Amino acid sequence: MTVEQKQVAGQVVLLVSGRMDAESAPRFEEKCRACIAEGLTALVVDLGDLTYVSSMGLRSFISVTKTLQDKEGALRICRLKGLVKQVFEITGLLGLFRVYDSVEAALMGG
Amino acid sequence: MPGATRSLRLAANIACLHAATEFVRTGALEANLPEARIGELDLLIEEVFLNVCRHGYPDGRQGVVALEYSLSAPGELSIEVADQGVEFNPLTAAPPDLTSNLENRPIGGLGVFLVKRFAQFITYRRDRDWNRLTFGISAGSRW
Repeated sequence: MTVEQKQVAGQVVLLVSGRMDAESAPRFEEKCRACIAEGLTALVVDLGDLTYVSSMGLRSFISVTKTLQDKEGALRICRLKGLVKQVFEITGLLGLFRVYDSVEAALMGG
Repeated sequence: MPGATRSLRLAANIACLHAATEFVRTGALEANLPEARIGELDLLIEEVFLNVCRHGYPDGRQGVVALEYSLSAPGELSIEVADQGVEFNPLTAAPPDLTSNLENRPIGGLGVFLVKRFAQFITYRRDRDWNRLTFGISAGSRW
């Protein structure tokens, strides 16, 4: 798994690629927490190139989102597909997160 | 060929997760499972294997996970994950609350839920001091 940090229209976009399993999920969470520590509390996460996520990955998303909500920030995720989308869907998380079809829509999501 | 069985013993340690996944993937190739099913199989193995690593041997002893797969039918792979840890039947575990909002959403419990949803079939038996969880995945999607 790789996490690439980009700046798009003044906002942080984290492009996550590959597989988010028990071993790699902590690295995603660390990256998010590093952004939060810098005062970046509106994070867009692009999952278009993520092919796999396990429950450990879901834990990271839940944990980071809770932290951001406490800081009146938000995690917006976009471009979920395939197995990743299924996993979010059947665990009921699709309705709890701010989910968008595209990076552009996520950036405009407020 | 149908009925072929292979087995592997690993330490119940997260460092062995990829070895477990690779082993079962060999079976997936033998069963000619399509790519989409292999992703689901990875998920099943990760959730079951990690559950044993995290909760199976709480007293600190070095535990084992015994993996076995067989081609139970054409295009169907059956996997047994066995351990000598704390007796745990995931089939009777309480389901996570999937309706609560994010603030109250518990962070655990999703792994077992995912296994139940993605496995084609799943059985558990306590065999003397072994937990034996058997599940299957087949070429046809259940989705």
